[in-house]
Amino acid sequence: MEMKKSFLQSTLTAFFLMTVLLTGCHPIEEYENNNVGNFEALWAVIDQHYCFLDEKGVDWDAVYEKYKPQVNSTLGRQNLFIILADMLDELKDGHVNLSAPFETSYYRKWWSDYPQNFDQRIIEQYYFNFDYRSVGSVFYGWLPQGIGYIRYPSFSASLGAGNIDYILSYFSKAPALIIDIRDNGGGEVLAADDLIGRFISGRTLAGYICHKTGPGHNDFSDPNPIYIDTPKGGHLLWNKPVVVLTNRSTFSAANYFTMVMKNLPQVTVIGATTGGGCGMPFSSELPNGWGVRFSACPVYDVNGVCTEFGVEPSEGCQVDMDPVAAFYGHDTILDFAVDYLTGKVSL
Amino acid sequence: MALFKAKIVRGLFMMFMAISVAMPLKAQSDSITAENSSCDIIRPVMSAYTIEAGGSNLADTYLSPIKYSGWALGLRYERMQAMKFNPENWIMKLTADIHLDRTLNKVGNATMWYAGVAFEWGMTRRYSITPSLTLGYGGSASLNAGCLYTQRNGNNPASAKAALTLNLTGFAAWSLKVGSLPVTLIYQPVLPVTGIFFSPDYGELYYEIFLGNHTGLVHPAWWGNYFSLNNRLTADLHFGSTSLRIGYACNILSTKVSNITTRMVTNEAILGISGEWISLNPRKSLSKKAKIIRAAWK
Repeated sequence: MEMKKSFLQSTLTAFFLMTVLLTGCHPIEEYENNNVGNFEALWAVIDQHYCFLDEKGVDWDAVYEKYKPQVNSTLGRQNLFIILADMLDELKDGHVNLSAPFETSYYRKWWSDYPQNFDQRIIEQYYFNFDYRSVGSVFYGWLPQGIGYIRYPSFSASLGAGNIDYILSYFSKAPALIIDIRDNGGGEVLAADDLIGRFISGRTLAGYICHKTGPGHNDFSDPNPIYIDTPKGGHLLWNKPVVVLTNRSTFSAANYFTMVMKNLPQVTVIGATTGGGCGMPFSSELPNGWGVRFSACPVYDVNGVCTEFGVEPSEGCQVDMDPVAAFYGHDTILDFAVDYLTGKVSL
Repeated sequence: MALFKAKIVRGLFMMFMAISVAMPLKAQSDSITAENSSCDIIRPVMSAYTIEAGGSNLADTYLSPIKYSGWALGLRYERMQAMKFNPENWIMKLTADIHLDRTLNKVGNATMWYAGVAFEWGMTRRYSITPSLTLGYGGSASLNAGCLYTQRNGNNPASAKAALTLNLTGFAAWSLKVGSLPVTLIYQPVLPVTGIFFSPDYGELYYEIFLGNHTGLVHPAWWGNYFSLNNRLTADLHFGSTSLRIGYACNILSTKVSNITTRMVTNEAILGISGEWISLNPRKSLSKKAKIIRAAWK
């Protein structure tokens, strides 16, 4: 009986101690829902998760010292938003946003400081006389020189495999193809992969991806390869020459598309350096409920080069749109691509 | 009319009970054994079906640094039976439950969901301290799988949870009477000690896992990185052969691995039915010396 009592006591004591001692472990740092607390929370999210601090030479501690004095308890929500958005602009990253109910911050200088180099109306009107085919957001048609032209404005929605088959079979007699991704701000990487898969002959190394392994600025995993496969099920592939047209507003998944396509032997990139955005974004939030998005996982090309600052056109293919020519209905980037594919321009 | 209604209700209730115990009945076709030459041993199956509802607190730093709170709802099946090899001293427990939690951040503009399932099988060594008090301890193995989801996140909207653990378990059953109503209080804590559990790396996208990088996803569990404690206190109010089960459950999970901290705490009220079920072999007569050894109460 004595033994049973002691068993009971020790059992209950053990579970009580376990409960008391161990449930308090693994603390989560909390910030107050006030101006200072939200500032601190945002600064910490970027400090611990943003992936390009060192790559871009951003001294995030100095940024703290610069902006912290501006934050006090008397600030209204709008003014707090402006200060926090300015702080995020120090990252010079189109993938970084602060989202409040009244506004979403967005760093625009990555494209606004550059010529636009694209006017879709010129192509629709002067090259196709508005006679082209469209499927989803994509439109395509024959250029007068017998070259196929595909306008792919966004990777936010993927074309179906059947759609791509129809487009490629439509151009089956064409000696070459132009894929225009100017002003393509990105979307789903898998949508880009679906298209890239038509221009390779088998499993192809597309690049590498890393992720952060901890809150330190240099805590990164080893690069992990990204492979793209040709589509299964007997879909059409294209092995004739391809030109990809780019401008500064070619960003994110479109930047990735350019990065991968540029390394394919039959592909030439013509236009302007893309806008970058090679960090896959993560989301988080602040105590006041505002959302924050930021680059978290850097993607590198097959040579291990980071394309956060953009992908340059192929050698000798850096071309801008001539505004005077554009006035008369000429897209000089598209014209250069046609001349290149018809042999009028040799690189 | 009222009597007829009561008969219908009772009939439906009995039908529900018959369906709900169909599996246990089939599973325990060997429950009448003659291991002991002096008498047959009958090991009734104690089954309980409960609904659990209450509050939930969720946090997962892979998704957000903010703590969320809201409601939790679960369904649970529990089955206990004296074990064949030593029915006096050992009992078996099997549980299965599904849970759904819906929580909001502190300002109420974002939702975090949790949906998960859990299975546990274990054995308990019991001691009769007094005729009305039974204590026990034992071990169990459990499998938990679920997912935290927050819609507002773009590329990191979900955090998968999976764990296979070996647990220490406790058991205390106290039979008493409240007025003339027999009641059994049962306390069952479960404390995982070791095992393995899943977690992505600190900033790893599930896209990268999809690409084929499966390194570092499975982690050995110990109290330093995986602490969980489930406490259940129930009272079975015995109305004839069927009991009403009421109680309280507190489930705590706190993990920290790859610099990702997850905290899930639920406090729930329990409501359900429990009962003991015996299957008899019609081709075998029952000895007059047959002895019933129950799982939870004497």
